[in-house]
Amino acid sequence: MAASLVRFVRSGFGRSLNVAKQSAAIVQTRTTTTETRPTVRPKDPVTHTQLSEFGEYIAEILPKYVQQVQVTCFNELEVMIHPEGIIPVLTFLKDHTNSQFNNMIDLTAVDVPTRQYRFEIVYNLLSLRYNSRIRVKTYTDELTPLDSSVPVHQAADWYEREIWDMFGVFFANHPDLRRILTDYGFEGHPFRKDFPLSGYVEVRYDDEVKRVVAEPVELTQEFRKFDLNSPWEAFPAYREPKDAPKLESGDKPAK
Amino acid sequence: MAGVIKKVPIEVLLSLLKRLRILYTKILGSLQTMPQDAAYRKYTEQLITQRFNHVKSEHDVEKLEKKINCGQIEEVISQAEAELALSRKMTEWKPWEPLVEEAPANQWKWPI
Repeated sequence: MAASLVRFVRSGFGRSLNVAKQSAAIVQTRTTTTETRPTVRPKDPVTHTQLSEFGEYIAEILPKYVQQVQVTCFNELEVMIHPEGIIPVLTFLKDHTNSQFNNMIDLTAVDVPTRQYRFEIVYNLLSLRYNSRIRVKTYTDELTPLDSSVPVHQAADWYEREIWDMFGVFFANHPDLRRILTDYGFEGHPFRKDFPLSGYVEVRYDDEVKRVVAEPVELTQEFRKFDLNSPWEAFPAYREPKDAPKLESGDKPAK
Repeated sequence: MAGVIKKVPIEVLLSLLKRLRILYTKILGSLQTMPQDAAYRKYTEQLITQRFNHVKSEHDVEKLEKKINCGQIEEVISQAEAELALSRKMTEWKPWEPLVEEAPANQWKWPI
């Protein structure tokens, strides 16, 4: 297992070699069968297995924080961690020789109001040495603060300010956590799902007081909410079995 | 003067190799403080001893860089420094312990 991991580390460079071998394989099959599907994204099982092995490696080294690891159908590795493990996991991914994810590409949040911990914080990292990407996900609710990742990646500075401004997630130990996109006296967190599309206030210039004033929003037309659900089932693969009422098997029919 | 590549003086190269050897011994020493069955210790010891053996066997810097296959020797040194800092922090965090807390049941379910 360890030997295969070392080989995996080396094969990061030899990935072009793998692609060459694959394209040779595809050319061979083309001569035998005439059926091709050029509009369908070709599945890449080699990268998929490499990423899942690397995901298992990370989960084996950090079992204290890693809750789940998955590889999406587009060959993207995602590591789900407990919020206490933000700094350890990000430092590990940055400093460890086998990972070297020293570039933070993006830091965002996703609001899913139905969950107990409604905000899902997503870190996207890139390793220039091994040309590979990874996604680290955590969770929190409106009131629980998270550790700021600015000590690990300087790029997280403004991204965390944006998450604070737009979602209301507080980051402890952030050097300068203040609003970045909303207006100076703005109240509310716009990217939350319960914040309306038109907002609560609108601004206009008032000639009497000679400045811009904020007033409650007045829509000229009643807000039209369109039900955009299609009549066809969206995700047939994720159908949940309907709970049919179960009959008790104890009663036998009286003869 | 175009096209003339100056050779790095031999003292600089030797000092780089010496720094690398010192770093690797320090990393291995720091790993000793972890429990034997910790996965981080296992894999990092294997990786570092492999690189250390390359450094001990190969005295020519160019061939050493090809053997390690991870960029130039200065980059290898910075990787070793990062690994040393990481191993020291790992002894504090102890990530080999079992999971802190399980996520709520529907936390990672997608689509909702």
